[in-house]
Amino acid sequence: MTPYLQASAVEVSFGGLRALNDCSFTIQQGHITCLVGPNGAGKTTIFNVITGFLKPNSGSVTFKGQPLDGWKPQAIVAAGIARTFQNLRLFVDLTAVDNVLASLPGQTGEEPLAAIFRPFHVAAAQRRRREEALAILDRVGLSARSGDFVRNLSYGEQKLLIIARVLATGAELLLLDEPASGLSSGALEDVMALLRSLRNDGKTLLVVEHNTRVVQKIADDVLFLHQGHLMAQGSPETIVNDPALAEIYFGGAI
Amino acid sequence: MDFWFSYIALASIYVLLGLSTNLLVGIAGIFSVSQAAVFGVGAYIVAFFLMNDITSFLPAMAIAAVCCIALNILVTLPALRVSGDYFVVTSFGIQLLATAVFTNWTDGTGGANGLPGIPPPDLAGKALEESWQVVLLCLGGMALGCLIFWLVMRAPFGRLLRAIREDELAVAATGKSVLRAKVSAAALAGAFAGTAGGLYATFLSFIDPSSFDLDASILLLTMVVVGGARTLAGSIIGPFLLLALPQILTLVDIPTTIAAAARQLIYGVLLIAFMLFRPQGLAGEKL
Repeated sequence: MTPYLQASAVEVSFGGLRALNDCSFTIQQGHITCLVGPNGAGKTTIFNVITGFLKPNSGSVTFKGQPLDGWKPQAIVAAGIARTFQNLRLFVDLTAVDNVLASLPGQTGEEPLAAIFRPFHVAAAQRRRREEALAILDRVGLSARSGDFVRNLSYGEQKLLIIARVLATGAELLLLDEPASGLSSGALEDVMALLRSLRNDGKTLLVVEHNTRVVQKIADDVLFLHQGHLMAQGSPETIVNDPALAEIYFGGAI
Repeated sequence: MDFWFSYIALASIYVLLGLSTNLLVGIAGIFSVSQAAVFGVGAYIVAFFLMNDITSFLPAMAIAAVCCIALNILVTLPALRVSGDYFVVTSFGIQLLATAVFTNWTDGTGGANGLPGIPPPDLAGKALEESWQVVLLCLGGMALGCLIFWLVMRAPFGRLLRAIREDELAVAATGKSVLRAKVSAAALAGAFAGTAGGLYATFLSFIDPSSFDLDASILLLTMVVVGGARTLAGSIIGPFLLLALPQILTLVDIPTTIAAAARQLIYGVLLIAFMLFRPQGLAGEKL
């Protein structure tokens, strides 16, 4: 059986620093896989490699058996992989619904000629697209804030909006960089419930997460990254309860 | 009466240029200081075709627009690779280069003496000899430009450009082509500037390099900043306001020898003052 997403011997160096060192793993379709590890373990770097923002020095990533080597981020999103950023990168001068609309693929009027010569067609298509965007906002529980500018949303709402935006791309594999960090306990429960419901809808999630409590609650599978290398892979219980890994994670031996 | 005609015609032409600059600088975030060069190329092309009786007015305008689309994409290309501050320097160089060509390529542009005797525009075989006809033509050009700008900005294309200005990487992560959107914006801005150039040449019947130099580019930026970045209203208010300034200055009793310098000084002060105290301009958003 072809693995859903497979990283094989991925190497990335920034000057003398080896961010990823012979990094190999696979993730399963329909699972929430949590990517854990101490700071600097290479979690965000592997996201950058998978989504085409960073070209690895060697090694490769295959998605449903297809190698993604040399693909541009655009092509990778079209293939069904989309990501979020740890520092959100929302369009703060746009409204919530416009943030989602800006991420919906293949829109009529996204180039000027159609906008100029087929204005009514474009306007009609936009009305339909807006409905779609509102449905996505509703999905993450933000329908009441659709017309608000991002800068007026709370941090928790912004974290939900970032998930709405990645959902808008229509991708089946979502790479979420710390979707639960910095949230109050109430907002945290909302995000965890949302992630589980996305999985139940057939999405596959690869999630960078630091909070072991969150990992235990949402993960089907855990990848433990250390110094750019996959150190362990398993169920949340085995990883979290492994004393050697806990030692590394909580600032023990290098 | 003639004063009003020329004020309205010139302001209409500068509105087209304001739209061009606003689209690139305000909306797409491509900080170009060479829009006057593209404007100049449009003007010289239309002048060339009409003076040599090669085509009539509208085909000449179409040719100028197409050339300026290609040219603007070409001069904006560095912005697709180098970001922000670096591009300003590149664009500055392009503007100086264009001025040098306009001034020194005597056979094509008449050099510093300029090109006199450009025929008036014609429509449907009839030359527009009366100044009110040309004013109407310029107003028509402006109205068409404003309509196109409005249509484009309310469409997904406008939203895409705004998103790109805020965060290119985030746009790329949603699977959109940043490159394609920027090239489209540059093309549209080129078409606006080229059309404005053609109207300018036929309206004044005389052009010389001083209308298309760095000062002119800065004036365009000032118009966008004072009027307001990223809005249609801003692109209209800016030119109408700043072009009224020289006329207001004639009411003040200053020697003509320093009038031009005084005007330039006031433009500069306005630019700085607005940037500091009202960056959103009179009717726009923060640049």
